[in-house]
Amino acid sequence: MMRHSRLALLATLVTGTAMAQGVAVSTTTIAQSWKQDTPGFAQGSFTPVTELVGIDVTKIGGQDALSLHLYAWGRTDLADQSSIEGKNAGNFSYGYLQYDFRQANASIKAGRVTVNQGLGPVAMDGVEARTDLRYGFTASGFAGTPVIYKNLSDNPQNEITFQKNVMFGGRFAWRAPKQGEIGISYLQEGSSAAQSLTIPEPVDYTRRQLGADIRLIPCSFVDITGRTVLNVADHQEPTSTESPNRIAEHDYKATIKATDSLSLAGTYTERNFYAFFAGTTLPSLFNRDEQGMVKATGASVTWAALANLQLVADVRRADRTAYGVTTRAGGDFRYSLPDAHILAGAGYHKVNAFSTLSVVTPFPSYSLSHSEMRAWLMADRGPLSASLDVIRLHYSSPYSNANLAGQGIESAIVGSLGYKPKESLKVSGDLTIEDNPLFRKQAMGLVRVEYRFGFASKGGK
Amino acid sequence: MFRKFALLTMAFGLTFMIGCGIVSPAESSAPTHPQALEQGRPTCSDCHGTDQMKNTRKTFASFNHTPEFVANHKFPASQDPQTCAACHAQSFCADCHSGKTSMLPSTKLGNRPDRVSPHRTGYLTSHRIDGKIDPTSCFECHGRANNEKCTACHK
Repeated sequence: MMRHSRLALLATLVTGTAMAQGVAVSTTTIAQSWKQDTPGFAQGSFTPVTELVGIDVTKIGGQDALSLHLYAWGRTDLADQSSIEGKNAGNFSYGYLQYDFRQANASIKAGRVTVNQGLGPVAMDGVEARTDLRYGFTASGFAGTPVIYKNLSDNPQNEITFQKNVMFGGRFAWRAPKQGEIGISYLQEGSSAAQSLTIPEPVDYTRRQLGADIRLIPCSFVDITGRTVLNVADHQEPTSTESPNRIAEHDYKATIKATDSLSLAGTYTERNFYAFFAGTTLPSLFNRDEQGMVKATGASVTWAALANLQLVADVRRADRTAYGVTTRAGGDFRYSLPDAHILAGAGYHKVNAFSTLSVVTPFPSYSLSHSEMRAWLMADRGPLSASLDVIRLHYSSPYSNANLAGQGIESAIVGSLGYKPKESLKVSGDLTIEDNPLFRKQAMGLVRVEYRFGFASKGGK
Repeated sequence: MFRKFALLTMAFGLTFMIGCGIVSPAESSAPTHPQALEQGRPTCSDCHGTDQMKNTRKTFASFNHTPEFVANHKFPASQDPQTCAACHAQSFCADCHSGKTSMLPSTKLGNRPDRVSPHRTGYLTSHRIDGKIDPTSCFECHGRANNEKCTACHK
């Protein structure tokens, strides 16, 4: 099945490209080099070379509406094995044929597409379609099979493949002119319940989620957006005294534009682990049985002090049931000089977090509190470009936290130089120097060659 | 057999006709932004003022790339993907949102500190703290895929 799909895709690519009037190909080759001397990990010297290829073919057969989009990468290790997958690895990230109708913003995609509905983007092999309807309504739908990545040992991996056999869903929404949008969505991944196996599997990898989202702009200076997602699957509930909360997520943000240069924002997020982690492929890490939640509120003030200077102050208070409250507060600024082709930014945040129990140290607990500092600069002049990124973290409990091994400061400097001899070609090199409790001192080198040909009218500036 | 086929054909035809009747007659919006934009985060309202964007029924200003917009871009990406596609190729999203990435986004974008990408610096130390504070922030990328490295320790 997989072989046939690949052959069909290759045939489509070849014929589509041959019939196309617009082809844009971007390739990025990245060669890295570093030595690993991390306590607890195998020592080694790594020099992986990664090739990333993106192809956008438009006007296939002379039609404006038909296009093909592909993106894939492959990596090989020239020295020690850098990944648990082996010395060679790769992935076909997406690849689909898209047809855009001239009316109603309607489009159909077929192939490997990324679905945005439900919790988080998820890759699917199948068909996705959308259209605007009369009177402000809009509808979209998708159906196919989820893309499954091999993460675990054979047995649980087989269970995942068995259960996640199908994926479908859609979204229906209504838009009011200049005032926003409300929508409902559904996503189902898998139809084969764990209980239907000959030997019932205790972990259920399927998910069924019902969501409602809103964008409300009652007046030009107020903007409210967010969503609520419910877990509606008939999963086996954990053995505890009370039923788990079915609300996977509330996530809302309200922004008030006080003046042209000043805006205030508030956020509210609530995520219940049992419902939020439904469908995880890594249940040992994202533990649904914990039944706890994270509830967070936040606020920020953004001030465009000058046309090219932006200041942001923000605070976020998160409360995790099992551990306690964390407050992260601080600020950032961003400065740009478009004429001089300079962008710069800096930030400071202080994280006041709870203490957690120690397992192996003589100290009964350690604090997770720390400070984060960062400053960066980007500049380009003619064919030359340069960037510098400096990051520093200060931990509050370097001696009681066994993970920090007495080292309370973590720092990193990333410097990059680039040369662009012509519009389609850019060569750049990065040097990263890190000093952190796990890696100790570490230097990593990277050479990047980016090449584009054809014409690309958009994409990732 | 023939009756079933006829009924199915009629049902399909009826659905198709109703579907065509309720589809918006409005012309689709331009697939790409007609002009190249300056480097940095765009403020759509600088040129478009308080105008309403065709088809989305929202104002251009509601797509200004403010810090709040960038931090919560999942909402417009879900509601108005065509608007994103006017300037961003799908590969822009795939730099970070890919089921399986070739390397950390912050490594791939090491020469682009202006772009938001988590895990700058040796994140192996910090993830033990961030994961305790709020594991749901890890889940969005690592919960269902892209977790080969997680399984090295979290079996």
